Amino acid sequence: MKIKDRSTIPFHIVKGVLLTLLSIICVLPFIVIISGSLTDNYTILKEGFSLFPRNTTIEAYRTIFRSPEGIIQAYKMNFYYTFMGTALGLLVITLTAYVISRKDFKYRNTVSFLIYFTTIFGGGMIPWYMMYANVLNLRGSTLAIWFPALMSPFLVILMRTFITGSVPDAVVESAKIDGAGHWTIFWKIVLPVLGPGLATVGLFQALGYWNDWYRASMFSTSSETWSLQFYLYDMVNSTMAMRQMAQNVSLNTADLPTQTVKLAMAVVATGPVLLFYPFVQRYFVSGITIGAVKG
Amino acid sequence: MTSPNPMTRQALSKSADSRKKLIVLGLCAALILILFVPIFPWFQVVDQDALYGAMGLKASVVKKLTPDHSVLTFLSFVETSKQGVLGFWAFLLLIVSAAAIALCLLSVFTYVRRRRVPEGKGMLRVYSFFQKGMLLSFLSAAGTMGLILFANGHYGLRGFMPGFAPILTLAVSLVGYGISKRLEKTERIVCREHGFVEEFRRNWVLFLFLVPCFVFFLINNYLPMAGVYFAFTQFNFRDHLFASPFVGFKNFEFLVRSEILHLTQNTILYNIVFIVVGNVLQIFFAILISHVTNKRLRKISQTMIFMPYFVSYVILRVLVFNMFEYEVGLVNNFVTSLGMQRIDFYNTPGYWPWLITLFYLWKNIGYGMVVYLATITGISTEYYEAAQIDGANIYQQIRYITIPLLKPTFIILLLYALGGIMKGQFELFYQLVGNNGTLFNVTDIFDTYVYRITTTQPLSMGLGTAAGLFQSLFGLLVIIITNMCIKHKNPEYALF
Repeated sequence: MKIKDRSTIPFHIVKGVLLTLLSIICVLPFIVIISGSLTDNYTILKEGFSLFPRNTTIEAYRTIFRSPEGIIQAYKMNFYYTFMGTALGLLVITLTAYVISRKDFKYRNTVSFLIYFTTIFGGGMIPWYMMYANVLNLRGSTLAIWFPALMSPFLVILMRTFITGSVPDAVVESAKIDGAGHWTIFWKIVLPVLGPGLATVGLFQALGYWNDWYRASMFSTSSETWSLQFYLYDMVNSTMAMRQMAQNVSLNTADLPTQTVKLAMAVVATGPVLLFYPFVQRYFVSGITIGAVKG
Repeated sequence: MTSPNPMTRQALSKSADSRKKLIVLGLCAALILILFVPIFPWFQVVDQDALYGAMGLKASVVKKLTPDHSVLTFLSFVETSKQGVLGFWAFLLLIVSAAAIALCLLSVFTYVRRRRVPEGKGMLRVYSFFQKGMLLSFLSAAGTMGLILFANGHYGLRGFMPGFAPILTLAVSLVGYGISKRLEKTERIVCREHGFVEEFRRNWVLFLFLVPCFVFFLINNYLPMAGVYFAFTQFNFRDHLFASPFVGFKNFEFLVRSEILHLTQNTILYNIVFIVVGNVLQIFFAILISHVTNKRLRKISQTMIFMPYFVSYVILRVLVFNMFEYEVGLVNNFVTSLGMQRIDFYNTPGYWPWLITLFYLWKNIGYGMVVYLATITGISTEYYEAAQIDGANIYQQIRYITIPLLKPTFIILLLYALGGIMKGQFELFYQLVGNNGTLFNVTDIFDTYVYRITTTQPLSMGLGTAAGLFQSLFGLLVIIITNMCIKHKNPEYALF
């Protein structure tokens, strides 16, 4: 579209201004965090944050990695949870989605409804917690941290949509006539063409696992099983609490874990997500679009 | 292919034998429904003095107890006599019995409806409901026996005896189940349908594929549903989970008196604001971005706007804390540089509804924008070209083409959002506010309330479960009502 009509010029100006503004608002906090983490702590206390690092130093990162056991352990656990959850989750989600996409399966509607029903009714947080903590006795185990997010109704339905979209019925039918069972159809016909679906659902899973702090906070009994986000959470929390105390009894707040260390931690914890994000964004976009419109 | 053959149907259903059997089935259903009427004894206390002695009951309590109890009223006995040990079992029995009653009624109802509308597989549905009803009745009766055995063992004496009702139920449900299985078999031949066994033989691989899914949802969703029992108990550490005293609706009464109003109000109001403001802004920016003609610019700005969706809420917490902290926060630095007083955000509730909404939008505008943008790019350019030829300017094009065509997407998103109106954005609220008690009044939603109880006050567990159950049921009600309205107006948008 070329701008032919003069009356549309104000529209294009407003559009440009608003979009630029929103884009900046969305990205600005990241820049503040990054530049803050590179700034000298004293400068931040005196002059506050700014867009560009002043008195640039990597002291904060050095502090983190001076005693890196905690953060390395949290990183390891995060990779472990993300890997286990995404790999196993993808497998079981795809298997389930395949079953409910088969038109010749008598109970497909029943199964779909039972899966969907979990989104509209549940026992609530406490019975759920009791199930893992008291009945299965999994408190402190890593299983309790990755298992509960293995499947989600949204992802199962999304995967089903991918399967019905990328494998025409006729193909499956002709394979059946040639004597292929469900096992063969699933591994040899459906999986090979399911690349985009696997990527999309897998990325949703991986993002969820990477960003999880909730299950780690619920089921951890020692800091060994903490996920990265919960490690960060704990750090921020203890600073907040101490600062609150300091305000009341007028302690010297300069001795606390510094502002910049927290910011550096945030950078370290989000780094991988933001690095990969631009390259995998399109999978999320396709997933969200398909899920919202057809789900 | 599966429509019944009228000739065979006539031949089979005309036979006097099957009609007689149908009457027997009707009688079975009626008998079971009657047996569930609370005047018939399921539990009988035979040795009152010994049993009440073993329970350690006071005379004033004993006076309130009657010797006979139905499976539907046994919980009131548990409550009055404070025997929490029997509570969970009795609660499950009550649920199973209620389901059995519902299914028996449903089978009768389906049968009556079927006669008015002669439909191919009507009878198969009747049999299916009926059999499930019979199975559950059997389970309920067997469970009653089990509970009696357990109770007698627990107190070490023969205090309870089953009344005639559970014994009769056992027999009737078995007979009914057997007969209906036979009838179903003939009906299956007529309808050319196959049953579970045949389906399993054909598609056992699919059942195998479903095993992990089954295990997952059972552990993660369906078994915990039984845990709503905690909502009716007063947890204490001595008796632990399944033996804490059963207190009926006391927790709910307490909630209604104290928390429920403002929790419901907060949850719903926040969600309404999120839905309305969120969708308006998402549509607005989706339209703007769809008019960016430079592909590269468009891609870049979409990437930037979508970015906050990918960071965890813990990062958001760091961010907000750094911005609004009293001493070194970005905002307060700015405020002091203007020569004004510092603002104590973390102790002033008034700011937080705004801040929470702001950061919700910050994180979620990109997500919805992507959805709407996909719809806009799906609109055929022919519409716009035709409109341009007719002299429509850009505002008119947006007003009369884009927005009307976005309506279906908007409605779908709105329905989903309405369905979740009782669910809170737990992570958002918890990470922004945390355990900051001064802000609870304006920031507490169901999820944060329950989480706080789970993690910090195990003794109030019953209260927390009750709040969660209320939230779930209210949400379910909202969904059902919404769905009914949609089905009435426009069936293709119905959720189920």
